[in-house]
Amino acid sequence: MNGIRRHLKQFSLVMAILLAFATTVSVSAHAGMVGTGELIQQQQVDLDRQQLLSMLETQEVKDKLAQMGVSEDQVAERIQKLTPAELADFEQQLAQAPAGEGVVGVIVLFLLVFIITDMLCATNVFSFVKCLR
Amino acid sequence: MTHPTLTKGTGRASTWAALLGLLLLAGCASTPQWPDQAQTAELSQPNRQLLTEVPFYPQEAYQCGPASLATMLNTQGLATDPEILKELVYLPGRRGSLQVELVAAARSHNMVAYPLKPDIEALLTEVAAGNPVLVMQNLRFNWWPQWHFAVVMGFDSQEQALILNTDTRQHYEMPYKVFHATWDRAERWALVILPPDELPATAETLPFLRAAHDLESTGHTVAAQRAYETAEHRWPDQPAPIMAQGNLAYDQRKPATAASNFLRVVNRFPGFPEGWNNLAYALSASACAAQASDALACAAQLDPERFGQAGHQWTNAAGPVISECPELPACPATIDQ
Repeated sequence: MNGIRRHLKQFSLVMAILLAFATTVSVSAHAGMVGTGELIQQQQVDLDRQQLLSMLETQEVKDKLAQMGVSEDQVAERIQKLTPAELADFEQQLAQAPAGEGVVGVIVLFLLVFIITDMLCATNVFSFVKCLR
Repeated sequence: MTHPTLTKGTGRASTWAALLGLLLLAGCASTPQWPDQAQTAELSQPNRQLLTEVPFYPQEAYQCGPASLATMLNTQGLATDPEILKELVYLPGRRGSLQVELVAAARSHNMVAYPLKPDIEALLTEVAAGNPVLVMQNLRFNWWPQWHFAVVMGFDSQEQALILNTDTRQHYEMPYKVFHATWDRAERWALVILPPDELPATAETLPFLRAAHDLESTGHTVAAQRAYETAEHRWPDQPAPIMAQGNLAYDQRKPATAASNFLRVVNRFPGFPEGWNNLAYALSASACAAQASDALACAAQLDPERFGQAGHQWTNAAGPVISECPELPACPATIDQ
């Protein structure tokens, strides 16, 4: 029992990765009718992604990114690569962010969310983030 | 509240500083401004709005859920009261009701339960349009919550107050600051309940379709169909509402109706591969193998990655070829994107 406890962190990370794979596989391997639920989900993902990308267009955001030393292309590329689950996760964080936060806040939040995953070495986009392990 | 200024290239320290800054920002979430009259002029929000034609039920102990839900449903002309709804949504063990149960109870009355965007503008817009809004509040603290349901019946933008039917008080004017704090601690949960042929004032395509689809998947197919039609009427530039009607007919084993819906999709949105794909399956089920194969080929051509591998080829079982198979529109050569 204690053994499991001690390795809980590693274990949950492995599980999270496995689950992430399971969802992507099941989505892409599906053939047949496109159900209404699936269609709504898919259009929501497209819409969220578009909204996030369009935020990169504002001057304030461009300035902020430059200030943080991240190029706009890098971020756009990262957004394109977001899985539906990640995007949904981010949208949820966005919904819980304090009301009235501007688009700059949103982008900074986005960067921070993914900097944290980068620290877990799940992704590796930002060169200035060092892996913790 | 200012963002921490980051200097380029200081590496991890700046990252942590930014992170800390964000946490601090999140910690001091303040009440957003009452929507500016000038800014929301197009909504033509009157200064004071109060929906009066709604019966009021003072709640009995812990029964804010049934009382609020009864108010919401009565507004839509449904004859019900908290005593009846108690059976549906009140959990004696928890001395309260759950949000999901209120939503489910609304659906069981063939109503669309539409969750609002979590901002005050959306809420006020709905009230201004004459729709009472069911809200959840946390009247105590995050670490020691006391959940509560109430119905927003009106507002007064001069006083910056919301007018609620809450606990035993009818038309109680709650200062905006107090309301927002308690609402914010309940993740700004807000819901309008409308019959499927009406649209909430702040309705957006996908959330509305999701609410309609929830009706469908809980077995309220007639109401779902109405809601899909309402959506099609409101958003004629979207293929999804027609797709949903086709899928519903297909699931009800009405392949001919399904095919005619999907045919409408491909006629109006020839570059939408999902439409061709579903049309193929509906045609195949109506024993139109040749057209089904053509439609599937078109889906594969438009989106080879998704529909290319299916590789279905249908042949009709022996029997006479049905002459009623529809003629397909031409498959667009390429998508202009």
